[in-house]
Amino acid sequence: MRRTFAGLAVAAAAAVALSFLVLPIAAIFLRVPLGRLLHQLTTPIVTDALIVSFKTTAIAQVLILVFGTPLAWVIASRRFRGRSPMLTLVELPLVLPPAVAGLGLLAAFGRTGLLQTSIPFTQTAVVLAVAFVSSPLYVRQAVAAFEAVDPNLVAASRTLGAGPGRTFFRVVLPLARNGLAAGEALAFARGLGEFGATIMFAGSLQGVTQTLPLAIYSAFAIDFDTALAMGALLVVVSAMLLLFLKLVLSWRSSRPTSSFLFARSS
Amino acid sequence: MRLALALALALVAAATAAAQTDATRPSVFAAASLTDAFPKIAPHARYSFAGSNTLAAQIRQGAPADVFASANTALPAALHADGLCSKPVDFTRNTLVLIVPRSNPAAIRSVYDLRRTGTKLVIADKGVPVGNYTLQVLKNMNLGDVLKNVVSRETDVREVLAKVALGEADAGFVYSTDARAVETKVRVLKIPAWAQPKVQYGICVVSRSSNKAAAQAFIRRVLSARGQKILLRFGFLPRVKR
Repeated sequence: MRRTFAGLAVAAAAAVALSFLVLPIAAIFLRVPLGRLLHQLTTPIVTDALIVSFKTTAIAQVLILVFGTPLAWVIASRRFRGRSPMLTLVELPLVLPPAVAGLGLLAAFGRTGLLQTSIPFTQTAVVLAVAFVSSPLYVRQAVAAFEAVDPNLVAASRTLGAGPGRTFFRVVLPLARNGLAAGEALAFARGLGEFGATIMFAGSLQGVTQTLPLAIYSAFAIDFDTALAMGALLVVVSAMLLLFLKLVLSWRSSRPTSSFLFARSS
Repeated sequence: MRLALALALALVAAATAAAQTDATRPSVFAAASLTDAFPKIAPHARYSFAGSNTLAAQIRQGAPADVFASANTALPAALHADGLCSKPVDFTRNTLVLIVPRSNPAAIRSVYDLRRTGTKLVIADKGVPVGNYTLQVLKNMNLGDVLKNVVSRETDVREVLAKVALGEADAGFVYSTDARAVETKVRVLKIPAWAQPKVQYGICVVSRSSNKAAAQAFIRRVLSARGQKILLRFGFLPRVKR
């Protein structure tokens, strides 16, 4: 008797959690009929925001890969004083409130800031905001991926005469690539959703700095349906990124390259 | 399952209820330009300051507001027409000014200087009352081409104010009352009277309010001689009854 009661309680709690998570997302699609949804997506506000979002996020991701990968490799492969504080510093933007990130970017790159640049209000500002908030997701995942590479394989490559560069590109990178791709997918998703730092640091101008989340916020007060349509679009894109992430992690019998665990679909 | 979810939501609601209902403290959704003045008139109320159009949208979505104070008359009138708030009353007026950072990096001396290419102008978004007023001023002055120099469209007047006061933008259109709030950081450039839009503030009791007595008391306070005096002290203009 007690057992069945406990079982029921667990099932009920699980059902509550599941419906709570599904309900808001389902509601976005239920509020607007599909036909109107697609129609809304062709308005200039939406197409402009779409272009700005993907362009800035893509550029930010290239920067993250080019600069973040070496940083992750250094942290993963060297043991030096201050390594663990360094890792914490790298991860800090991850837990930082976006409004604080916006303040920091203004204080550093603002016209009256530390470096006194004229970056605010430009598309570059959006790229920087996106890179700032999303790079930690990639770097910490990349560190884990590099650390999971068997050091014996690296040593073998070196003793067989390959230089450090060749070893990195021919041995380390291929072994770590699933973890790197997973981190990159997470960073990409986070970058697409970036809001707080962008609106503070880059402002909001259609076709220049107005990304999809900013356009949603702006449309909310004027045209709820358009906001919903953009929301639906972001749900679909995010779902595809998550799916990609899970596929990447399950490729090649999922070598344990990641400490950032996700429940596998299969 | 539905029952369980409803139960859980009811529990959360119960846990947060104390913060929500308080017979003496109305929830006032007010235009961002009232940020400094309203708490001086009624310190006991709970405020949500934002762009009037954002607040109106929130009220349409069922936000638990008791009073809606807007920086125009169109938004409360539209809510009233849809049965969402009482018949709005005009309670104050305002004027628009152009502000530049104290250092004036773009050397702007008048509204006409905004035409210079490369000027970083920040205005409020279309739909935000101050954004609409700004467009009206530019139209009145035949300065439509100035819009090419807009680098950001903000969601309320205080965002415009912040970006100019911080020195990130070269200029921005705000209410004269906002400019006073950061007197030491900005310079005020007047807009000719003939180009001024009619900036009229409307206030109403939200129909769904469960606290109508407190809401009405709040509005009485704003309209009282003392309330009006405080508004004048912050630079607002006396209300004119229509």
